[in-house]
Amino acid sequence: MAHKRLRFLGVVAAAMVLTMACGGTSGGGTPTKTYKIGLVTDIGGLNDKSFNHLADVGLEKAKTDFKVQGDVKESKSGDDYIPNLTDFATKKYDLVIGVGFLMQEAMGTVSGQFPDVHFSIIDGAGTDAKGNDLKHANVQSLYFKEQDAGAMVGVIAGWLEKNGKAKKNKHVIGAVGGVSIPPVNHYIAGYKWAAKMEDPSIKVLVGYSNNFTDPAKCAGVAQSQINSGADVLFQVAGGCGLGVLQSAGKAGVYSIGVDADQKDADPSVIASALKKVDVATYTAIQNVVKGQFQGGALTFSIANEGAGYAVDNFDVPAELKAELDKIQSQIKSGALTPPADIPA
Amino acid sequence: MPPAVRRLARGLGMPLGSVIFAFVIGALICAATGANPFAAYAGLLCGGLGIGCTEGENPALQISNTIVFFIPLVTTGVAVALPFRAGLFNIGAEGQLLAGSVACTAIGIKFSGLPAPILLPMVLLGGMAAGALWAGIAGVLKATVGAHEVVTTIMLNYVAQWLVRFLIIGGPLQLAPGTSKSHPIGEGARLATLLPSDNSLIVFGLPASVFRVHTGLLISLAAAAVFAFLLWRTSFGYEIRAVGQSQKAARYAGVSVRRTIIFTMLIAGAFSGLAGAVQIAGVDHNLTDKYFSDTTGFDAIAVALLGLGSAVGIVLAALLFGALHSGGAIMQSDAGISSNLVLVLQALILFSIAANFVGAIRRGLPFGRAPAALPPELPPAAGLMSEAAAPPPESP
Repeated sequence: MAHKRLRFLGVVAAAMVLTMACGGTSGGGTPTKTYKIGLVTDIGGLNDKSFNHLADVGLEKAKTDFKVQGDVKESKSGDDYIPNLTDFATKKYDLVIGVGFLMQEAMGTVSGQFPDVHFSIIDGAGTDAKGNDLKHANVQSLYFKEQDAGAMVGVIAGWLEKNGKAKKNKHVIGAVGGVSIPPVNHYIAGYKWAAKMEDPSIKVLVGYSNNFTDPAKCAGVAQSQINSGADVLFQVAGGCGLGVLQSAGKAGVYSIGVDADQKDADPSVIASALKKVDVATYTAIQNVVKGQFQGGALTFSIANEGAGYAVDNFDVPAELKAELDKIQSQIKSGALTPPADIPA
Repeated sequence: MPPAVRRLARGLGMPLGSVIFAFVIGALICAATGANPFAAYAGLLCGGLGIGCTEGENPALQISNTIVFFIPLVTTGVAVALPFRAGLFNIGAEGQLLAGSVACTAIGIKFSGLPAPILLPMVLLGGMAAGALWAGIAGVLKATVGAHEVVTTIMLNYVAQWLVRFLIIGGPLQLAPGTSKSHPIGEGARLATLLPSDNSLIVFGLPASVFRVHTGLLISLAAAAVFAFLLWRTSFGYEIRAVGQSQKAARYAGVSVRRTIIFTMLIAGAFSGLAGAVQIAGVDHNLTDKYFSDTTGFDAIAVALLGLGSAVGIVLAALLFGALHSGGAIMQSDAGISSNLVLVLQALILFSIAANFVGAIRRGLPFGRAPAALPPELPPAAGLMSEAAAPPPESP
């Protein structure tokens, strides 16, 4: 009998812990509104050292600055995009953020089902199965002017060649793209344009691996560029591009990373062209908190600090630093505009 | 206790024990990392089965999501369990599933103009044929030259994954340059959802289109029933079991071991291929890059083991794994615990099953006794632990 009562007490205690745990998370009852923000990562997960990680950084910053409850769902497979987006939407979150173009179709579907919920998507739009933008009014696309970031690292590459500070100084540099699609070509366009501006005699080799994941493919393209005399290589190929950085390291030439700061990927990385997904995420949340959410495209560039560069395993000479600051302020003011298409 | 009840209890003891073991260890891991295990499991329960939701989740939606994950697990689980019974370890359910989804997509695009009564059977049968072909390669190799089916099916998984990659990146099924998906299949190739796919119709407080449960549910349950019937009510099923128990004895009884191996693999592949076709026809409607990292066919191995290779067991195990999958995301957003805990739980379940098998074999058999003498009521997968589980067939 005593045994039974003990067990009953145990169940009650467990139930109490459970209710307390649930009560703790639900909050509420406060005078000012707490904004609920849901972040859905793509299959890269939070520790991808790239887009998903940066989006979470932006969310965390927003949590410290605003009255925001931020919840994250990591997608384990492509099957999870729709359930994850839908869950936040059914709970009437104030903003649901999807990271990455892999989620475009899911975003298109879910945003159509929940026209009253606001959605943001990094680097993409809400599309149908054929990839056409559905232009739902409740979806905000967060795009980047990759050419701005490309231009800044292009300045570095061009300046090194012009001033004989590169490894071979044959006035040849390279860029290895994943697939010839707009975001990749924007980067390369800015890179080539700025390098030519710095060093008019420069030759910019552009190659594509037709792959975003296999480092061996990119290493092959990088090697042929190195054999042609290139001594600064810019990778624009995601995971595949790690092969570019490693090939450059083996050949003893410089390399440039992309999207996130790739300082740690290889010692040959002297700089990285940055897409500041954290800034974009933070801005999107800020807009919602201020009641300024707008559907359509929101573009991040040097002008709004949403794109830029990082100097990595390299001591930047003062002259180059001055040149970088000058170009950056000119792009910021609109005096210079890096092209979106690769110049001839 | 009547013997039937005792048998049932013994049958349920191992899988239930494994699941309980996994959840207890999972709770300890949770607590050790400073999280609240009760909150974690409350999140899983809500996310998986729609029970006890506190954060505004819609229970009907959670159940619907779980069923969507459940459907392919049942069909591929059967595709792993059937060869188990013949002493074959089919690691290739994933590759067979991909072959089925490719065939379904290709047919669904090519003949997109045909009406559903013609096109739907075409894509489903096409998927089954492609899956059967994929598994049949391993079956024929096993039966003729004795190539171990574990190796060949694993390798065929890679071939299938890279085939999908080729087809939708630069290959003939690619939608447009720069994309990594296929064209959508025709309307006639799609399985209907149980609720109308309508954004304006409100069911359970949500637009009806968010409930993605489709008629593939009936197909997967039918597949489980066919599996049970085939195994226990046909002479071929008897041959499968005979070969699984002892190839030599089966041969003395007049069973063609080679034929049995080949046909077992063909049928298993057809089940997996069907799972892939149903996934395309019922959920995705196009082949996308998510199939590069799909793990359904591997989860199916765990489902078949946990389900002890029986139809009912597989359905229950698939339900558990579907609920875990669906619940993980809710647990993460509600309780702030990484959904990776789900993977830990799945691994612990598998680990515990494997460990229990070892225990069962040790208890049941004095050291050195031939594995062929396993008592028949032991689960078939127990044979996996023995040396003689899957030898190449000896020539007659």
